Amino acid sequence: MTVTQPGTEPVIEQVTLAARASDAEIIAAVEAWLRAHLPEDWQAAVARGDLAAVEAIREDPERGPAWFDLLGDSGLATPTWPAEHGGLGLPADRGAVVTETLARFRAERHNRDFVGLVLAGHTILEWGTPEQKAERLPALRRGREFWCQLFSEPGAGSDLAGLSTRAVRQADGTWLVNGQKVWNSYAHLADFGLLMARTDPAAPKHRGITYFLLDMHTPGVEPRPLKQMTGNAEFNETFLTDVVVPDSARIGPVNQGWSVAITTLMQERNGLSGRPAVGPGEADTLVARAVGNGAWENPVLRDRLLEAYVEEKVLQMTTVRSFVASGDAAPTAEGSIRKLAHSVLAEKLGVLGTDLEPDGAVAWDPAEGSEAADRFLAMKTYSIAGGTSEIQRNIIAERVLGLPKDPDPERHLPFNERGRG
Amino acid sequence: MYAEQREPEFGWTDEHRGLRETVRRVLADRAPVARARELAEAGERHDPALWSELAEQVGLQGLALPERYGGFGGTLLDLAIVVEEMGRVLHGGPFLPTVGLAAPVLLAADDPAGDDENAATEYLPRIAEGSLTATFAVESWDAAGEPVASTTADPAGRLTGTVPVVVDGADADLLVVAVQGPAGPAPYLVEAGATGLTRTPLETLDLTRRAARITFDGTPARALGDPARGRAVLARARAVSSVLVSAEQVGGMTAATELTAEYARTRTQFGRLIGSFQGVKHRLADMAVRQEMAHSAAYFAAWQEPGTPEFAEVAAIARSYCGDAFLQTGLDAIQLHGGIGFTWEHDAHLYLRRARADRALLGSPQQARAELVPALLSRVTTEGIPA
Repeated sequence: MTVTQPGTEPVIEQVTLAARASDAEIIAAVEAWLRAHLPEDWQAAVARGDLAAVEAIREDPERGPAWFDLLGDSGLATPTWPAEHGGLGLPADRGAVVTETLARFRAERHNRDFVGLVLAGHTILEWGTPEQKAERLPALRRGREFWCQLFSEPGAGSDLAGLSTRAVRQADGTWLVNGQKVWNSYAHLADFGLLMARTDPAAPKHRGITYFLLDMHTPGVEPRPLKQMTGNAEFNETFLTDVVVPDSARIGPVNQGWSVAITTLMQERNGLSGRPAVGPGEADTLVARAVGNGAWENPVLRDRLLEAYVEEKVLQMTTVRSFVASGDAAPTAEGSIRKLAHSVLAEKLGVLGTDLEPDGAVAWDPAEGSEAADRFLAMKTYSIAGGTSEIQRNIIAERVLGLPKDPDPERHLPFNERGRG
Repeated sequence: MYAEQREPEFGWTDEHRGLRETVRRVLADRAPVARARELAEAGERHDPALWSELAEQVGLQGLALPERYGGFGGTLLDLAIVVEEMGRVLHGGPFLPTVGLAAPVLLAADDPAGDDENAATEYLPRIAEGSLTATFAVESWDAAGEPVASTTADPAGRLTGTVPVVVDGADADLLVVAVQGPAGPAPYLVEAGATGLTRTPLETLDLTRRAARITFDGTPARALGDPARGRAVLARARAVSSVLVSAEQVGGMTAATELTAEYARTRTQFGRLIGSFQGVKHRLADMAVRQEMAHSAAYFAAWQEPGTPEFAEVAAIARSYCGDAFLQTGLDAIQLHGGIGFTWEHDAHLYLRRARADRALLGSPQQARAELVPALLSRVTTEGIPA
């Protein structure tokens, strides 16, 4: 029995990718497919460890998309999606083996596709209409459309449900959207945005929100890049001024957007703590660097490195365990545990990386840059993006340990009667 | 470790669940924490009636021993479940020293193809039936994970030296001793009552376990297995013991976290349950994270095949992580209980005492990390810097 995808020959024997297939069988099937389909110069660059050459092909405006079309049509880009939507129908832990194998050939989808592939993909699979699935999923599978998230606002960060961007139903059935979003990674490049807007201000804040798949090319959508503390400008503030959105772009029922958002947020937390495999990680890289520059001889640094190494391995084991234990069930508060642990570890590794080369991390040759400094500055991403560590601790304490909910005097008030913060 | 590791299933079978339920029920009935405290305050080593019952009716002492030695042929994973449950209720006495520290050495030294007169044949069936308690005596471990032994054996097998702290050392029927033999470190066996054996009881931090200083003065002993394999036998046994001690630590920290969460859910101050204050709930959330991570580490290791280099590595990872994690959870449990947590009557300090004492059983977490170095360095140098 074979899986046939439109536009390509049957590529993967379904029997080898069945849920009961062993890791080795999945790896062998994916590797065989890659050896038959991945361009030869790509395979050669991977074999000699020339990551720059691979990256050049991946980013080539013609060759990159051609590859991701092929990958998308094979089902390998979306192994956990159901077969009817071009996936392989694998449970989460099996799907992770596919993705892990692709990554060894640097043939996996770009990290920047995370919002589309993982967040939009799963949200549409769970909540989308048949039309939305038919229109959006094929492009997501192939990476032909680029997505961003339009959730946070200047006045609604951790208290996300307090968002005030308005969507007002017009006489012709369309929605008129006005407001301002912020921390929108890649919004300036995106084709679509996952948008939450207030549709019933008289309802309590969680019950008056509606979720839309916003076409970012609609008039009135204006992303403005924000320079981050790293010096990069990946994220944006996005102004929405009299944006007309058709009702066909609404996903999930009117005023029940918060439930849809929970799907998105849980995918996000789950995705931020890494792939489910125990293998070389960032600590291994730091150990190699320390051995290379002699920092390893310092016994204090050495034990800090080993502590981080142990922590990273144990986090990987926890991720493996959560994928196996939950199968393909919806991720839960358990994702918050891993996200929090990952944030703490990322900060440790970021500081440790600079301590291994104390001079190189504070001043460097402009032509060479400093990876340690880059990572040091980027490390604070993890404890803030996708819900701060403080919010994750609330979630863990409340949902795992059954502690009382944080007081929120406005929770049950109509949104338009709450105080302004 | 990466290529060869067995994929951990992390999925419990009905047998695993049944075992856990049975052990939990028996311990809740016969050995709750209050009983551990009662025995400690009365100066009792353990409850001999329960010991016999665990052996004869539940079959725990022989659970993971081979059937040819009167055991049930269970796995390390089965035993880890039992020890975790015991850790939850701070069960002390001879179980862990006998089954978790001494028996792994006897098993590691066992050569099933060898003669029938070996030590395993003599002692393991008695452990399985509950008629023999044992413990493991080692001075300390060096950074490479090798036992440090100043106790020496003369050619006639007589031991001379001192082991400063041996858990359950004053009472165990059989001592498995790490000795500096002619071919390096090797395990020797000494029976209670041997001539020249002095066992001096000590006061212990962990009130649920006794300990002694042991002095050998020309004490007759018996080499366990082939002395040339002594180093490998001790290393293999230590990895198994590390997994079991990690499981005990997981049990202890799970109970301490639950105890503290329960207090935070019921104690009121300033007109609010204290669990609604972020200063309290966030510390508890960190306790929950550590408990989850420790559980993953201990059982990832328990699911591996003992005896492989990968097993030794994940066992050391578990010993490092669980040892540190339980200590921090012990401290946090007392902190979040406030004044009541600092009292003798409250159980919180019993967990903290256990947490610190367990770290000393097989070498500290820092030593466990040092043991990771050779494998880690060989990967880094042979595979280069990972992308």
